[in-house]
Amino acid sequence: MLKKKSVGGQKPVLVLPALNGKQDQLAADLISADKKLAYQKEEKAKRAAELIVANRELVFQNREKEKRADELIIANKELAYQNQEKEKRAKELIIANKELAIQNEEKEKRARELIIANKELEFQNREKEKRADELFMANKELAFQNLEKEKRADELIIANKELLFQIEEKGKRAEELIIAMRELEYQTVEKEKGEVANKELEAFSYSVSHDLRAPLRHIGGFVNLLLRNNSSQLDESGLRYLNIISESYIEMGNLIDALLTFSRLSRAGLQRTRINSNEMVARVLKTFNDETVGRKVEINVADLPDIMGDETLINQVWVNLISNALKYSRKKETAKIDIGGKTEMGTTIFYIRDNGAGFDMKYADKLFGVFQRLHKTRDFEGIGIGLANVNRIVMRHGGTCWAKGEVGKGATFYFSKPAD
Amino acid sequence: MHAEVKKILIVDDSPKDVELAITALREKNLANEVIVAEDGEEALDYLYRRGSFENYEKGNPAVILLDIKMPKMNGIELLKQIRTDPELQLIPVIMLTSSREEKDLVECYRLGANSYVVKPVDISQFIDSIKAVGQYWAIINVVPVV
Repeated sequence: MLKKKSVGGQKPVLVLPALNGKQDQLAADLISADKKLAYQKEEKAKRAAELIVANRELVFQNREKEKRADELIIANKELAYQNQEKEKRAKELIIANKELAIQNEEKEKRARELIIANKELEFQNREKEKRADELFMANKELAFQNLEKEKRADELIIANKELLFQIEEKGKRAEELIIAMRELEYQTVEKEKGEVANKELEAFSYSVSHDLRAPLRHIGGFVNLLLRNNSSQLDESGLRYLNIISESYIEMGNLIDALLTFSRLSRAGLQRTRINSNEMVARVLKTFNDETVGRKVEINVADLPDIMGDETLINQVWVNLISNALKYSRKKETAKIDIGGKTEMGTTIFYIRDNGAGFDMKYADKLFGVFQRLHKTRDFEGIGIGLANVNRIVMRHGGTCWAKGEVGKGATFYFSKPAD
Repeated sequence: MHAEVKKILIVDDSPKDVELAITALREKNLANEVIVAEDGEEALDYLYRRGSFENYEKGNPAVILLDIKMPKMNGIELLKQIRTDPELQLIPVIMLTSSREEKDLVECYRLGANSYVVKPVDISQFIDSIKAVGQYWAIINVVPVV
């Protein structure tokens, strides 16, 4: 049989039933159980004693705890008070905090404003520096301008004096102009007179060609009739006289022709065109080929500049000059003729040089006169009109003629023309 | 050979030039009759058979030798007159000039002159001019001068 036995709150001890034949074992077990119970009793007494002690301790502790509780109450009160104080302080701090926060914000705002203001000030500083620099420069400029103005003032004083002088000069000039105008009026009248004179000259030329020629023609015509029809009635000297009259008739005819040509050159209008001088001179030289047959002639032509001029008249100039050069060099074993020209400083100058008879420079001014000759007809034929025509043509083109020479060594003839 | 030998009219105020011209013509047996007028008006009198020429034989001359410079009506004026008259305008006119450079020569050609001869009349030049106007045979003298 199983039986649970609970003693004094102790753990149940399992008492096993004595097995068949095993009664001794049981008895032993019971003894052991008793012993155990006795031990337990002792333990319980010990325990009770301990509990008393413990109780006392607890009472003491209780009292201590009460004392502590009182102290705690006081301390609590103190704490509560302190709490309240702290709360009050906290509230004040919150307020103060808020105040500080506001102040912070304000300060931040202020700081930001100050930054901006700083920046503004910096900018203004820089601007002021710049302005200062500018002012410095402006000052320098003003100083310079002041100097300039002083100079200018001085100059103006001089200029004023100059103007005064000029006004005086203008007054003088005005008087001169009045005189010049009168002169011009006079010249206009003179020019009209000149035109009249020109017409008279034309009439004169016409008259020469007709009226002077008529008696000459009659002399020639009747002398020829006399020679043809009546020569048998004349002796040798009579025939010689008639031949002389006949030759003189031809000579005078040539003189009249020459004079007419010269007069025409003075009057004819100029037909200006571009003249290729190289081609013109080459063409003119070609026309003299026949005349130089059997002669030794060296002709050098340099490159010649083109000019503007009357082709017919300028051609005549070259014909006359080349003809002269060939004529007066024909007694030389070898005739040497150089032709050249160049344009310099607004003037074209041509020259033709020969190694012929030359001339004495003291008669140079006679070279270009009408019917002026420096050589005997016996030596060199001619009537002295060629160079006069050259001179007239060149003058009509606004140029001049001149010559250099030495007797027996040759001559150089120059003619100039304003470049176009 | 032409049956009728026409006349030559010389219009020139210089008798010496006229004499030289006629002599030259006669020497070459040209022109059996030469009429001379001393200026343009006299020439017109002959051409229209009036005044002192009233009784002259009718008919135009074979050729007119015309000097330019003459008193009263000059050669140019006469030439104009001749070229505007239908009866006269076909007559060949040869101008007599003092030189080749005569400035009026151009105008004479413009007005219808056929040719020109430089005075004194050079006969070969004259013959060339006469041949040029087609009147050479008309003025050959039928009766040779002895």
